[in-house]
Amino acid sequence: MGPEPFEAVGTGARPAGARRLASFAADRARRAASADRWLASLLGAEPGVALVAVGGYGRRELLPGSDLDVLLLHSGRPGIAALADRIWYPIWDSGTRLDHAVRRPAEAREVARQDVRVALGLLHARHVAGDPGLTSDLRTGVLADWRSAARTRLAELQVLHEERTARSGELAFLLEPDLKEARGGLRDAEAIYAVAAAWVAPGPGPRARAAQEAIMDARHALHEVTGRASDRLVLQEQDEVARVLGLADADALLCHLAGAGRTITYSLDQSLRQAQRSRGAGGRGVARAGRLRGGRPRSGPQRRPLADGLVEQDGEVVLARPADPSADSVLVLRAAAAAAEAGLPLAPRTLARLKECPPLPVPWPAAARDALAMLLGTGQAAIAVWEALDQEEMLPGLIPDWERVRNRPQRNPLHTFTVDRHLVETAARAAALTRDVARPDLLLLAALLHDIGKGWPGDHRVTGEVVTRDTAHRMGLSEADTELVAGAVRHHLLLPHMATRRDLDDPQTAAQVAATVGSRPLLELLHALAIADGQATGPAAWNDWKAGLVADLVRRVEGVLGGQPPPTPLPLRPGQVALAEAGQPAAMVTGSEVTVVAPDRPGLLWQAAGVLASHRLAVRSANATSHGTMAVTSFTVAHPYGEPPDAALVSSELRRVLAGELDVADQLRRQGMLGAPARGTDRPWLAAPKVTLVDDASRTATVVEVRAHDAPGLLWRIGRALGECGLDVRAARVETLGAEAVDVFYVVGADSHPVTDAPTRGKIAAQVLSALTG
Amino acid sequence: MKLITAVIKPFKLDEVKSALQAFGVHGMTVSEASGYGRQRGHTEVYRGAEYQVDLVPKVRLEVLCDDEDADDLIGVVVKAAQSGRIGDGKVWCTPVDTVVRVRTGERGPGAL
Repeated sequence: MGPEPFEAVGTGARPAGARRLASFAADRARRAASADRWLASLLGAEPGVALVAVGGYGRRELLPGSDLDVLLLHSGRPGIAALADRIWYPIWDSGTRLDHAVRRPAEAREVARQDVRVALGLLHARHVAGDPGLTSDLRTGVLADWRSAARTRLAELQVLHEERTARSGELAFLLEPDLKEARGGLRDAEAIYAVAAAWVAPGPGPRARAAQEAIMDARHALHEVTGRASDRLVLQEQDEVARVLGLADADALLCHLAGAGRTITYSLDQSLRQAQRSRGAGGRGVARAGRLRGGRPRSGPQRRPLADGLVEQDGEVVLARPADPSADSVLVLRAAAAAAEAGLPLAPRTLARLKECPPLPVPWPAAARDALAMLLGTGQAAIAVWEALDQEEMLPGLIPDWERVRNRPQRNPLHTFTVDRHLVETAARAAALTRDVARPDLLLLAALLHDIGKGWPGDHRVTGEVVTRDTAHRMGLSEADTELVAGAVRHHLLLPHMATRRDLDDPQTAAQVAATVGSRPLLELLHALAIADGQATGPAAWNDWKAGLVADLVRRVEGVLGGQPPPTPLPLRPGQVALAEAGQPAAMVTGSEVTVVAPDRPGLLWQAAGVLASHRLAVRSANATSHGTMAVTSFTVAHPYGEPPDAALVSSELRRVLAGELDVADQLRRQGMLGAPARGTDRPWLAAPKVTLVDDASRTATVVEVRAHDAPGLLWRIGRALGECGLDVRAARVETLGAEAVDVFYVVGADSHPVTDAPTRGKIAAQVLSALTG
Repeated sequence: MKLITAVIKPFKLDEVKSALQAFGVHGMTVSEASGYGRQRGHTEVYRGAEYQVDLVPKVRLEVLCDDEDADDLIGVVVKAAQSGRIGDGKVWCTPVDTVVRVRTGERGPGAL
């Protein structure tokens, strides 16, 4: 037999000791050359046919376990079936896996038009043997088709990419990644070339090419080690693969791959976005041509304000013209929060400019804490934004200890993610639980930091508590809040451990947990954190069984700790008392504080809130109480973007409302702010708003607790719904923590008594809920 | 050969595991289970609201052993898992035809 047999893999036998190769790339090219020679000898001298290598073989990337991807092209000559048999049978007999097709060039182009996967393989078609003219016709045709249908092809490419991500997760953060299919894996690296082949974005840069090479080498080594065409780098193979690649150990291997995977993901995202923009630019080009012919002039790109100094443009978040990064240390976090809230990426040039921001002062201003809570509160949407901040190396400036957990693998079969991604995933899942705790902002922060101690030697709960205290002080949390977050980090494993290892029926168990935890707010945080942590760890770490045990323990501990009264309104300050005692209606705007004083009557609170909403002022907190017959309401407001409204105008409108001269509902309707669904309802992973009527909190009023995602006019919506139920709000305490509104209303019925009958109470909850969900 | 299956309270797992290890058992399978026996779940009252717990969380533990060890092993499990209260669980023993160690292909008692 003349032909040199191809090195077949797939016999199932594990090699005794995999080789360390000087150059894996050279080995792949050598395998491809050897396969080329073999195929050429199998074809022999035949007219009107060509053997074409496609896919990875076409790129000369033939791994030990790769299929031989071959197309037999012909010009319609007779006897092609017999010829194909003559070529395929020896390959099958050798045990090599073959992916084959026999087509005319026009047929091959047609199949590629139907199936994007075939088209992707043919983009790398390479002539192996036979008539080179046939191959070159095919290549030219396929590339021309790809470019002319770039719009639909790239959309299909994006769908494939998203399906792969949903199925296989992300290479950089998985402890057992699929090197080929995962986001940031080899298929994504090939997709960068496919976008470039459509001439809508440049090809991969040197960093992306090196990253692709690194992942390919790891896959190559994995094939060598297992003797199989495996793509998933499972735990048990990692030490050996690391050795074959000449890396110190499995941790070094995963760190190395995480870096490469992140680079590929980032490059592909940029390529796809650029492709989208250049398609958009095509549209603009037509518009410009229209103007030259005397058409309607275009008004420049559409910009939609998102937050102070930030706008949306072309599907990305960019800086508004007046924004000045060099003078605004909070801008990084505000931009991140705005991007996550809007579900959009930060534009690359904006990320570059955000690096000019001065470091945040220590302690952080409240606006920075709010922005961080808002960012984390968006749940899944926060993950991509956090990743962009990571890629641009802006995280160490926010949380210095982040660097120690970055890309850090966890040697534990329960864990799915690296430490840093596990922290972000936990925060994202905690965002769905913010309605179950009194302090959503602290829950999100505790979730982000709960395993930060893993960057240091020793028990990570102990080291984590120390790091958390430092971080909380940097962020300017109050002493009480710091204690809560540090306690949550210190005891984040307490509930799951006790629930699964102690007898819940023994009163001692609940008593011991109650003694350790000490307070209801911390217990709530620990419960939500245990759920989020368990879900983010992996499917083996959390299930209904464990959730049931933990919930049972929590109920018992709640019984020991006793109830926590809802927050009560703050006492009036001397200035406010003086105003109330003057007995005259008054409305004042001083800085960010708005005070409204008037004889108590139903609807006062929400009408005032409506005036503020109509001026696009966001109510951050509100406090309503009475002094004698006068109701005193004070609001703290923020203007999210643009010029702040004229204080004189706002107070004059408030006075007109007090005098009954202004219909707030009508004003809001004219501004289109009525009936618009509340923000956040389009994100199914976030929790639904929650309305609870609390028993036995007050003897003189019914207490309505509302927890919802903050939205423009939220207070107005809630208040109006309460008013429609015939209720009078006697007192209220409204807080916005990050993007979460935590509101408590003390209400009475028309008879000035608490509402006791069940149907009315049910109606109140339903009415408020429907006002929240729009 | 016999298969000993025990359904016990979750918090008793550590004790049972140590007792079995002290007895010389090195391998076992543990899974999370839920169910009820004679107690038929239970009713709890929490803050005035009564709620029914139908399926109680349990741990299911399986150990393979030689015929002559079976009775002793059952004794070890029962002693370690006992709290004397309702819901302590059950232990049962079933005959096993054959056992194969996947890695080496060994069969019978040698594979235990």
